[in-house]
Amino acid sequence: MGPLPRTLELFYDVLSPYSWLAFEVLCRYKNIWNVSLQLRPTLIAGIMKDSGNQPPALLPRKALYVKNDVRLLGQHLQVPIRLPKDFFFVIFEKGSLTAMRFLTVVKLEHPELLEKVSRELWMRIWSRDEDITEPQSILAAAEKAGMSTGQARELLERVSTPQVKNQLKETTEAACKYGPNNHLLHHPPSCTVTAFSRPLGCLSLWPTWMMKPTCCLALTGWSCWHTFWERSGWARCLQL
Amino acid sequence: MGPLPRTLELFYDVLSPYSWLAFEVLCRYKNIWNVSLQLRPTLIAGIMKDSRNQPPALLPRKALYVKNDVRLLGQHLQVPIHLPKEFFFVIFKKGSLTAMRFLTVLKLEHPELLEKVSRELWMCIWSRDEDITEPQSILAAAEKAGMSTGQARGLLERVSTPQVKNQLKETTEAACKYGAFGLPVTVAHLDDETYMLFALTRWSCWHIFWERSGWALCLQL
Repeated sequence: MGPLPRTLELFYDVLSPYSWLAFEVLCRYKNIWNVSLQLRPTLIAGIMKDSGNQPPALLPRKALYVKNDVRLLGQHLQVPIRLPKDFFFVIFEKGSLTAMRFLTVVKLEHPELLEKVSRELWMRIWSRDEDITEPQSILAAAEKAGMSTGQARELLERVSTPQVKNQLKETTEAACKYGPNNHLLHHPPSCTVTAFSRPLGCLSLWPTWMMKPTCCLALTGWSCWHTFWERSGWARCLQL
Repeated sequence: MGPLPRTLELFYDVLSPYSWLAFEVLCRYKNIWNVSLQLRPTLIAGIMKDSRNQPPALLPRKALYVKNDVRLLGQHLQVPIHLPKEFFFVIFKKGSLTAMRFLTVLKLEHPELLEKVSRELWMCIWSRDEDITEPQSILAAAEKAGMSTGQARGLLERVSTPQVKNQLKETTEAACKYGAFGLPVTVAHLDDETYMLFALTRWSCWHIFWERSGWALCLQL
């Protein structure tokens, strides 16, 4: 029997385009690397509030950078990201509270569907510029992901229950507390673990070495991600 | 004759540890990729002011993250980064104005030494936790990089001249025009397009600048 898989927790919010990018990369590699990927629906608004941080888009130059960066990364990673026409309204006025509560209850009741439903919500907001706040919108995403209407309605009815609200709060708090030496996170997506790879069309030689668990914000440390991969000294990084 | 090298401009400040990391990666690859690397000494304090951004270290959680991230990247890239004991004092009180003016005049007069002297300044502040603000400190870095004392003193005398002050201002403004809100900023000129890449966040995209072949053997250099 080989070494035990390493746990990778991904804290994410569908309101965050970078979350989508990190999510897709990790989903592609979860069966190639010796990792166990745990998806953790989180509320980005809660992280911002708790950390005293501000969304980058509120600084004009960062907003410009993010728009271009997201587009470039989408092309590079082959994720069909397109910015919503009313970017600020979608992010700051509409938000993602109900959607993230829905994903929270999906994780509680049907964790096997969490990946697909998350993806469908991202496709709505960050690819087709569609709503994700209305009940109908969430139901449509759930059905597209393979849920029956009945299943989806039932879960939707539970989004405002204390159990679900608290679970989302707890996950958000866990993200805030996370990291070795009490390193705190200030922006999803964040990954705890250490080691990934670069999804490039190239052959990379990376020595394997053990590392302590650590937090990687967004895709910032992603070229270090390979260190989690233990199978061989050579990582063939395909443009997946 | 192959395709013309693509121009890569690196706007950097020795006060910025991420600048050092980007610098080392680009220096390692500049002879492997078909690029022409232009080093552009810039003042990070000027970028922050102009963009109304705040240094990440001013948010407590970002400060903690940066400390760990810089250490991790240093190990990964084999750059001997060690945080100064008095991190905030070094960054926010001492700064890097004279050092960046020195690098500016060095670029004007001895561009062939810019890489080495920049590296020695980073080694001072970000590896050995030594000063880079006093004239003696800057001279020591320059000499370590191979300059004669006479040469180095000659340049140091010029750091407060209008020509040098203005040049540093102009470089800083050029970075701002590219949309910089921090450093390092790498600007890649590809055919008709210009890409501004902040810090190392998109460095896994850098390969698109490499034209020699479809396969890049990326060694841990």
